[in-house]
Amino acid sequence: MSFSKIPLTPEIVSQDGNSMVLSMGPQHPSTHGVLQLMLEIDGETVVTCDPEIGYLHTGIEKTAENLFWSQAQTVIERMDYLAPESNALCYVLAVEKLLGVEAQIPERAQAIRVLLAELTRIASHCVWLGTHGIDVGAISVFFYCFDLRENILDLQEAAGGARMHPNYMRVGGVSGDLPTGFLDKLDALIAKLPGRMRELRGLLQANPIFQDRTIGIGTLTPQEALQWGVTGPALRACGVAYDVRKAFPYCGYDRLEFDLPTRTEGDAYARFLVRLDEMEESLRILCQVRKLLDVPGAVMTNDTKIAAPPKETIALSMEALIHHFKIVSEGFRVPPGDVYAAVEGPRGELGYYVVSDGGNKPYRVRTRPPSLYNLQALKGLAPGNLIADVVVMIGSLDPVFGEVDR
Amino acid sequence: MPSTQRPPLGGRSIDPVAARLPMDDALVERVDVAGLRARLEGIHAQGYTMLLDLGAVDYPERTPRFDVVYHFLQLPAAAAGAERIGRPTRLRLLCGVAVHDARVPTAVDLWKSADWAEREVFDLFGIVFEGHPDLRRIQMPHDWEGYPLRKDYPVRGPARERSPRPAFALKSNVVAGTPPSGRTLEAMTAVRREADPEPIA
Repeated sequence: MSFSKIPLTPEIVSQDGNSMVLSMGPQHPSTHGVLQLMLEIDGETVVTCDPEIGYLHTGIEKTAENLFWSQAQTVIERMDYLAPESNALCYVLAVEKLLGVEAQIPERAQAIRVLLAELTRIASHCVWLGTHGIDVGAISVFFYCFDLRENILDLQEAAGGARMHPNYMRVGGVSGDLPTGFLDKLDALIAKLPGRMRELRGLLQANPIFQDRTIGIGTLTPQEALQWGVTGPALRACGVAYDVRKAFPYCGYDRLEFDLPTRTEGDAYARFLVRLDEMEESLRILCQVRKLLDVPGAVMTNDTKIAAPPKETIALSMEALIHHFKIVSEGFRVPPGDVYAAVEGPRGELGYYVVSDGGNKPYRVRTRPPSLYNLQALKGLAPGNLIADVVVMIGSLDPVFGEVDR
Repeated sequence: MPSTQRPPLGGRSIDPVAARLPMDDALVERVDVAGLRARLEGIHAQGYTMLLDLGAVDYPERTPRFDVVYHFLQLPAAAAGAERIGRPTRLRLLCGVAVHDARVPTAVDLWKSADWAEREVFDLFGIVFEGHPDLRRIQMPHDWEGYPLRKDYPVRGPARERSPRPAFALKSNVVAGTPPSGRTLEAMTAVRREADPEPIA
């Protein structure tokens, strides 16, 4: 069959004999934002796949170099906009390591950080599950997922003041204690979650159409996954139990009990199951952290070099006022050096390589975006498969383009 | 109470990596460009199965000017179960690269994950990875000029350096013949010249 009669369109870039080059995206709904795939196809089969990224490149790393250490966090949160707390957490861990103050972070602040990191993981997986469902034609899942996510964002708003980018983490702790009534809301959510998760599982797990679309699709072997630098649920779905929370514990994860869900199949369905199991493990962590939060305590280090004085003291003491002014207008300085810190974000190993030259601004903030490396594996996965399966592969790798392009 | 671990803060350091305190985030190695390829092969043979990340840092006052920074991960052999995984090892490899000869050997044939990472370093720093199968810009448009993450690159882009706001309405700042994005350096300077005949320094 020849395509010679099909006119060239913005989507059909070129055609030659039996193959044509199709531009999928950057507006295609299955590309989750701004991914463009240059697909060379023969009929419906992909011959080569060349993802084009960069449509959402906003120069966050460059911007961060020109802001104070504390201000840079606000742009860094915008990289992975589905999990802002993970980004902020990783960045503050890196800065705290450079400052040498990791040991001074109060227990309660650590617990709050873990709480928000796990809530954000569940919320992020909710977005993934909802949009992945839409990709394969299961529209209703989306509404259940976003309802659950909205509950989590309400908590995030209560704690930090904003739904999406609360900027709640601080170098040295968190910006303030949890507000009155937060724990009651959290208890209500924890009570509601198991039932909701069962529902979400019930909507898709045994669904024959969903299984037909995902089983055996986008299969990664452990060797391939490691070669492509795939991390997170996608790596654990091929049987490699690597999780930063277990391998390089931070914020007291080594004292919490949780398992790493793994599968061996490595396909889109295995990634789906791993993420669902992961949400349940996150709930287990939430329950343990909830107990820790009953103990009152400080939420910010008392190191006056990095922490502003408590707001109450500013009206009473001239020194506190000056100190507050200096911290806000000049920021704090960080000793020269370089450090790599990583956390397990919802998408995999999220790392920051931070360099300080001794000034009050970061000299360089290099991100290790899990989405970029996970998405890159698509180059190896797509060839030989149908276009419709490429849609499933993108969904199951769960890229967030704020992070891929930065 | 200030931390006792903290060193006194002097002036700004032109080589922060040299001033680094011992930290347990990763094993650190430094290698020069001539020995880089051999070391990469050695690291690969040592069982560092994952190239976690590849980035670069620009130190304009230092010689060599750039550092290409690799992060590797070694997983214990029996990585089958959570309880058996043990503690993996992270390794950071730094390689100084001179600005007048900004070329380093590629690592794509050893770790596929280096593909986009090397393209990004090429795109944003102008460091060429020799042997890379498809080295072209990845984040910036293909016709972009300059390397945005270099320290001497203006934060707001090349054509915006002189004044924060153009004197004319923003909507009309696209002249005929420029690409729709209007993002090339020539296009932007052409607009600027038209609006403001004073020569650009």
